[in-house]
Amino acid sequence: MSTHETTQTNSTNVPEVTDPILEIRDAEVYFEMDRGVSRVLDNVSVDIERGEVLGIVGESGSGKSMLASALLDAVVDPGVLSGQVTYRPGDGSAIDVLGLEKEELRQLRWEDISMVFQGAMSSFNPTMKVGGHFEETLEAHDYDIDEGMERARELLADLYLEPERVLDSFPHELSGGMQQRALIALSVVLEPNVLVMDEPTAALDLLMQRSILTLLEDLKEKYDLTLVFITHDLPLIAELADRLAVMYAFELVEIGTSDEILNDAAHPYTRSLLNATPNLDAPLSEMQAIEGAAPDPVNVPTGCSYHPRCPLSDEECVAEDPAFRPTFTESHQVACFHWQDSAEVIPFNIDRPEAHEVDDE
Amino acid sequence: MSRTDSSEKSTDGGTGDVFSFEASEEISTSQRYREFFYEAFYLPAREAWRDWRMKVGLIIIFGYVLMGLVAWVSSSEFGVLADVTLVEFPTSNQFGGFEYNNQGPFQSWDYPLGTDSTGRNIMAAIVHATPDMLKMTFAGGIYVVVVATVVGTVSGYKGGRVDSFLTTVSDIVMTIPGLPLVIVLATTIDPRNPYLVGPLLVIGWWAGLSRTIRSQVLSIREESYVEASRTMGISTPRIIQKDILPNLMPYIMVNFVMSARQVIFNGVGLYFLGVLAHGSYSDNWGVMMQFAYTHASALLIPDRSYQLLMPMAAIVGLSFGLILFSQGTDRLFNPRVRQRGTGSTKQEEDSDDEVTTTIT
Amino acid sequence: MNWFIKRIGQGVFTIFTVASLTFVLIRVMPGGPAQQMVADMRQRQPSLSTEQLNVMAAQRIGVDLNRPIHEAYIDYMLNLAGGSLGQSIQYHPETVADIIARSLPWTAFVMSISLLFVFILGIGLGAIMAYKEGSKFDVGSSIIAIFLSSVPYYVAGVVLIYVLALELSLFPLNGRYPKGVDPGFTLEFIGGALYHVILPAASFVITTWGGFALGMRGNSVQVLGQDYIRVAKLRGLADRRIALRYVGRNAILPMWTSFLIQVGFMFGASIILEEIFSYRGIGYYMFDSIDNRDYPLMMGTFLVITVCVVIAVLVADMTYGKLDPRVEAGGKDESY
Repeated sequence: MSTHETTQTNSTNVPEVTDPILEIRDAEVYFEMDRGVSRVLDNVSVDIERGEVLGIVGESGSGKSMLASALLDAVVDPGVLSGQVTYRPGDGSAIDVLGLEKEELRQLRWEDISMVFQGAMSSFNPTMKVGGHFEETLEAHDYDIDEGMERARELLADLYLEPERVLDSFPHELSGGMQQRALIALSVVLEPNVLVMDEPTAALDLLMQRSILTLLEDLKEKYDLTLVFITHDLPLIAELADRLAVMYAFELVEIGTSDEILNDAAHPYTRSLLNATPNLDAPLSEMQAIEGAAPDPVNVPTGCSYHPRCPLSDEECVAEDPAFRPTFTESHQVACFHWQDSAEVIPFNIDRPEAHEVDDE
Repeated sequence: MSRTDSSEKSTDGGTGDVFSFEASEEISTSQRYREFFYEAFYLPAREAWRDWRMKVGLIIIFGYVLMGLVAWVSSSEFGVLADVTLVEFPTSNQFGGFEYNNQGPFQSWDYPLGTDSTGRNIMAAIVHATPDMLKMTFAGGIYVVVVATVVGTVSGYKGGRVDSFLTTVSDIVMTIPGLPLVIVLATTIDPRNPYLVGPLLVIGWWAGLSRTIRSQVLSIREESYVEASRTMGISTPRIIQKDILPNLMPYIMVNFVMSARQVIFNGVGLYFLGVLAHGSYSDNWGVMMQFAYTHASALLIPDRSYQLLMPMAAIVGLSFGLILFSQGTDRLFNPRVRQRGTGSTKQEEDSDDEVTTTIT
Repeated sequence: MNWFIKRIGQGVFTIFTVASLTFVLIRVMPGGPAQQMVADMRQRQPSLSTEQLNVMAAQRIGVDLNRPIHEAYIDYMLNLAGGSLGQSIQYHPETVADIIARSLPWTAFVMSISLLFVFILGIGLGAIMAYKEGSKFDVGSSIIAIFLSSVPYYVAGVVLIYVLALELSLFPLNGRYPKGVDPGFTLEFIGGALYHVILPAASFVITTWGGFALGMRGNSVQVLGQDYIRVAKLRGLADRRIALRYVGRNAILPMWTSFLIQVGFMFGASIILEEIFSYRGIGYYMFDSIDNRDYPLMMGTFLVITVCVVIAVLVADMTYGKLDPRVEAGGKDESY
């Protein structure tokens, strides 16, 4: 693995990538509330490789949606975002996303970095035809309308929709799956480089989820996209993603290639998460819920925030927040003091064929 | 995903105990009513009390009720109360000769709001008109709410032919212009009893509310916990009482208040114009306005305008209290409003439940 | 299509119900108007027989006491269907239809001006309040809106007359147009009519805009919290476009029906307001007929007002499905 100079000096290590399109450093979001400061994103640093599919996984309320919003500097109002997000279009320049003027930011969004929200049903204006959404988006960004609409039709066709029918429909006239695909087409109509997707398949049935994922893969190849896919559904994204990042309690706890995470998950939380995931291969009796509840953003435990639920925790975990450290490989990093013991204490409840033993390395 | 997710769903409270059905079958009737009261009144009331509009509104309404009590005690012939007179009943020349006629307000403690053209104490008249006003208002509100709730729940819950019949009837009632109908009925029937006048003044008002209630019942009835109750074999009235009514309480409250306001508006207006027959000066604030308008020419003689303004102020005050109250309840409808500021980021979409309390 | 026929049928049935009701009230009620009239005439002309008196009464109010109820009812309804509303008692020999024909346009005039301003003020201020939610402007306007909504329109009318017409002499006290001006398409007449409509319309607008503003505010706040607003901002749409096409459209549409329903309420208000302002519209004549027990006129005005409201509601129902794509033509959940 080649080494790439990171210009930032950080409290946390970041697994290096060769050609980052996005660099996130110490991203932090907090809300001032009556009962205290609610920190819903806590010092997250991650690099996103050009052309990769990065899956960000975490349970609901782990801050993963906040991370998505942070990438576009689009945190909702009382929330305060700090840190650094650098976008590298690929021509050697670097854009400081959080430092952009209003108009520059308006252009960056959707033209360079685009986003698909969870719940397509609520992402369209209910009193406007789907086609109108495409037209006004092209118009707002001074794109050629005819050319753009041609592209929209092609995109819709790529997503196995009938372009004319969809463009001429009101959102409520389309099924959930159709709306979701139309929304994906809308988000790439300006040919962005990065597409951030926040639970894009959450409201759909299993079959539709799979087919959308397949379509996304094709779309990515055809339009040369970098995908950031945020989900709570680890097995779903594992097939599509090149790399996975796991979030717990508003921070990243583990990052690595999909294989590394699935087979050698090093963080106790990731391992428990995998065990708690319904799997057709595993008997139901083997499924285990994670004990305890996800932490409250106002009151995150000291030290490693997972320690109250972790079977491996000791005084060190309570006293100190573990930094990222490499595990078996440089690309696979984990924020845990005891990652070496995790496989032994939390064995997988199904045999993953290529699973390593800890001392296998 | 992990099982811990399911705990999120019940954090909103309210629907948390719906899973305890099996046990609740053995609960005694009194406990059941206590439970109903707790869910339908206590919880919403506690929530609503946080709203300043609700507080001010309730204080104003309470003030009028107090005024009504004072009048009732003063004119009561009942036992010990016969001797108690807090505010004397207004009569012509009650302070002596005609030099006490048309005395302006804020001159004497005997008649703080002045006297009318026959020397009656305006303050006393306002106070003594209050009990009948409140009876009328209360009766009208109860009438609207009861009829609408019965029609709406039956219509929504039974469905089928019953539903389409009741819906057609309420559609028709809703289209018949309200005040003209009231006026026609009032002239032909000529009611005197406030308990009859009140309902008459809002005779068609139940139709709008019953439609709202019907559509609410329809949507609630589809919800899984009602489905669950039904499959468990719980009786229809029990389902309506336990699952449906608590959800409807906010609508019922608001409409009670808004029809009460309508009773006041229509009632005072019709007494003012003399469409509703009147007995004496202190029967209704509208009658006071009529006396000021016709007998004292208060509109044309600037010095006497207070005779018109004082009863007007009484009317505006009461309906202001009622509207503040109804506006204060919007917290109960709109979870978004309730949640704002507590920083929870996502809310399950529930756009069908949107409620706008339009004042008309 | 089926649905249209059903709605129109319902409207016709409503008018039929009201017509029957008026018959019942005049004819069947013991001591009702018909019997009362016969008794009155008997006092004046004791020489005439009951039969003759009944015939005279029938000429006046279209209800013949000589005939059996069901026949009288059919006759009465047939007369109405033929457009004959009978003769006014006090404006004899003018027919009720004539009186209504010359007064209804004036009421329509007051109503359209009032509705226009209620709409502009209510929607405009409501939207601004929602955009500035929680600001001093929002709280202040809310309090003013609530307060003005608690003032009965006739109280506002009396106050306006007192202050603007009597004390300051800025506006005319009553009437529909200046004395001595001939009705016609002249600037003098139209200007005069507009000048006279200000106070009656203002009494209504002042006390009604608040309800609409609060409704609009609520709707807009809700729309502003929707995901599609956030997505629209991220898509880089101009603020103006979001305000009009997104917030405005989605917030106003649900109010459309309640806005047209307001027509029914305004007819009611016109009875009291037109009396206070001596404004000779249909409401004025309805009140007049009640005061003078002119039953044919009273029932005629009531019936015509019902017809107008039925039409307004029909228009509301039918246009709503067209305006708001979310509502299918079946109109299963119109927002009243």
